Amino acid sequence: MTEMNDPRARQPRFRGLEAGHRACQGCGEALAARLVTESAGPDVILTNATGCLEVFTTPWPQSAWRVPWLHSLFENSAAIASGVEAALKAQGRRSKVIAMGGDGGTFDIGFQALSGMLERMHNVLYVCYDNEAYMNTGIQRSGSTPHAARTTTSPPGKERMGKRHLKKDLLSIIAAHHIPYAASASVAYPQDLRRKVRRAMEVDGPTFLLVHSPCPLGWGHDGSETIQVARLAVQTGLFPLVELERGEVASVMPLRHRVPVTEYLGLQGRFRHLFADDDHRAREEREHLQALADYNVERYGLDGDGDDPFDADGADTVRRGGPASS
Amino acid sequence: MPTPMNRGAFAQAGSSLAFKTGTWRSAKPVHVHATAPCHGACPAGEDQQAWLALLQEGQLQKAWESLVTANPLPAITGRVCPHPCESACNRGHYDSPIAIHAVERWLGDQAILHNWPYPRLPGSPRSERVAVVGAGPAGLSAAYHLARRHYNVVLMDAMPEAGGLLRSAIPPTRLPRDVIDAEIRRLMSMGIEFRPRTALGRDVTLDELRGEFDAVFLAVGAGKSRHWDVDGAVPADLHEGLALLREWLAVGAIPKPNAVLIHGGGNTAVDLARVMRRAGVRDVHVVTASGLPGPDTDTDDVLNVVPRELEQAIEEGVQFHPHRTINRLIMRGSKVVGVEMVRLKKLPDGNGRKSRVSFEGTETVLHVDMVVPAIGEVVDPTGLTAILAGRDFIDTDMFGTVAGHPGLFAGGDCRSWIKKLTNGTVSAAIGDGRRAAEGIDALLSGRPPAEENRPSLPFAELNLAYYEKSKRVQLPTLPLESRDDSREIEGGPDSAQALAEAARCFSCGNCLACDNCWTLCPDNAVLKTRETCSDGSHYLFDYEYCKGCGLCAAECPCGFISMVDDD
Repeated sequence: MTEMNDPRARQPRFRGLEAGHRACQGCGEALAARLVTESAGPDVILTNATGCLEVFTTPWPQSAWRVPWLHSLFENSAAIASGVEAALKAQGRRSKVIAMGGDGGTFDIGFQALSGMLERMHNVLYVCYDNEAYMNTGIQRSGSTPHAARTTTSPPGKERMGKRHLKKDLLSIIAAHHIPYAASASVAYPQDLRRKVRRAMEVDGPTFLLVHSPCPLGWGHDGSETIQVARLAVQTGLFPLVELERGEVASVMPLRHRVPVTEYLGLQGRFRHLFADDDHRAREEREHLQALADYNVERYGLDGDGDDPFDADGADTVRRGGPASS
Repeated sequence: MPTPMNRGAFAQAGSSLAFKTGTWRSAKPVHVHATAPCHGACPAGEDQQAWLALLQEGQLQKAWESLVTANPLPAITGRVCPHPCESACNRGHYDSPIAIHAVERWLGDQAILHNWPYPRLPGSPRSERVAVVGAGPAGLSAAYHLARRHYNVVLMDAMPEAGGLLRSAIPPTRLPRDVIDAEIRRLMSMGIEFRPRTALGRDVTLDELRGEFDAVFLAVGAGKSRHWDVDGAVPADLHEGLALLREWLAVGAIPKPNAVLIHGGGNTAVDLARVMRRAGVRDVHVVTASGLPGPDTDTDDVLNVVPRELEQAIEEGVQFHPHRTINRLIMRGSKVVGVEMVRLKKLPDGNGRKSRVSFEGTETVLHVDMVVPAIGEVVDPTGLTAILAGRDFIDTDMFGTVAGHPGLFAGGDCRSWIKKLTNGTVSAAIGDGRRAAEGIDALLSGRPPAEENRPSLPFAELNLAYYEKSKRVQLPTLPLESRDDSREIEGGPDSAQALAEAARCFSCGNCLACDNCWTLCPDNAVLKTRETCSDGSHYLFDYEYCKGCGLCAAECPCGFISMVDDD
């Protein structure tokens, strides 16, 4: 029972995702979902693909959600959202529909439904929590797993140095649907993430948000390092934060000081084999990942000039009383 | 029973709140209010972080009130203190330390400008009377801290005005006289009774004081120059450095030889060197066993001088000879015509101490026609022979207690060296006065004296990703050609500069109210409160749900959150 003298009942922000959920310690996806629903507000209906988020928030008979929430299957979050949106439209109601999925349910299994939803221009925000593998079923590789990462189905060994293929450039594929707004965000930059959610909520039409959400268990880092790992992914250029409108790059978060990818890779168990002393392939793959980061920087023009308060160094700085940029 | 589930409403039954994930935890986050390094390094005991935080909130008068809980003379110390706080400032490892002295000085000046009253501690008037002998920084500080605690304080001094060496030994170019006058006048108006022209051993004896008062605090300073000679040789016309400086401050007269050598490495030596240089002495040499600040100089081997004063002295043409001492005076009759110097260093002697080692074969000769020793002073034993018992300084504990003399306390320059406390600066004397007031209050209240003792926050505990780099304030300094004997050389910051400088504070070890823990907890286990919690923050950990991941501790910019084992 919640009483008025309970500080939890008097929090000065909306909580779409409540405590008591079963996510692991330091879960990036739980944090991302909390931030997204917080920014979206109470007037939403959520649909959720099968995955960690669905499992840890709704162990029967409890739910951590404080907004209407639907789950059906792994592959059809976008399809269900399309149906809910169409039904609301028929009833003349204006609640926003948010479809959610992990990278498995978005990049691979639910991709067809997502593409159809975008093509039909449903007024839905699709949020993909990208933790770069099928974490719920035991860390199998997905289309989103980065090159050279270890998963249970891409183990490093004599034949391979982790995943052989590259991370699918989903954002470009999404943008190619010519939708009004698509963006990438990261849990390490909550101000930026909140702004992008609010921006997407305002758009009448399909919008897409790719949120980089470290998984301590799958990535092999301590739960306390989730933000640090996510921040380094951005600062190295491996996960560029960009906004695309109608397929064109509208804005990017510049990098004031680029960090070498080894600082990001070295924190994570899934890249530990890239630091083997006696294997020449380790060096090659590290250089390969650095080249991929350099490619991102060149492609999106991420190199900042001067001290931009909204670059990867300045965006999340704080002062007494809150974030410096608010 | 079915539960009504309205949109946005709290899901009563069936909410995951019924599941207490706190049971998963093996470590829990706690708020730890560690000492900021500036606070730990301050000889006066100021908590700079606390008053900089109040400035960040725009609470100017509260910031000053917080400052004067330790140091009643910020306008003075902001000008003359060698600011060990800035040397300790964690920001120094990041870009450049906060210009704490500049903000302190500005805040002190604001208090004088607006005549903010010194706050007293809650409590009722005390009947006990305390005598404070000597109205220098230590005496003024003790009198103030006793008055704050509602004691009847009688402050006495041999001179006609209060101030001690602030007036007699610090040039107005560093400390304008109107600043001393204003700050001391305001302090005295707390109801402190001042008896001028009252010298111990001449006008009053220690026994009389101890009979009349419930406690006596001796802050008589060190008024007698330490004996100086070189292998027994002393020039016939020897002048001591502090005596020369006092004479110049009192009557404006200074000897003008062609070349002078000042022997010593403290503020007296450097102040005197600058006065003589400005008076027209061509060659002013300062010979010191200490080193100039630099990457190769140990921190305990650097000249004990305000760093910016040293820079200005070099600008003005004073020549420094670091790591050297005088081997021999070259005399013609009883007059000095030169000195032989030799290089030396203070090196570990194998017994855990440092001793001076001079290096044979490094002797050089300097032609000067005057040598002025400024190697320090000892306590003038007049009226104190029973206490001193032949020693140079008075032995006390950290609260100033003089063993074997109940009710007698001492502090400031007349106290002997104590481990972990510094000596010989205005701030150290102010700290002595504050602790002695605590010692006296404890004695008269029948309780043990207490001093705050919190762990210090190391630089590595900060999360620097959340701090923007920013430049330290540039303070106006009189150009060389405009410097004379009366105008203050370094100016203060304006209000915008002072507040901008305060905004640079990392808030080491204290909550910055930045919301990071509240924003980044994946489990909604950090709750924000409107009221301030007992630990000074606005956040509560909800241990029913906290899984102990440690994200909040890692992402707290200022090291306010620590993870501890949870049994």
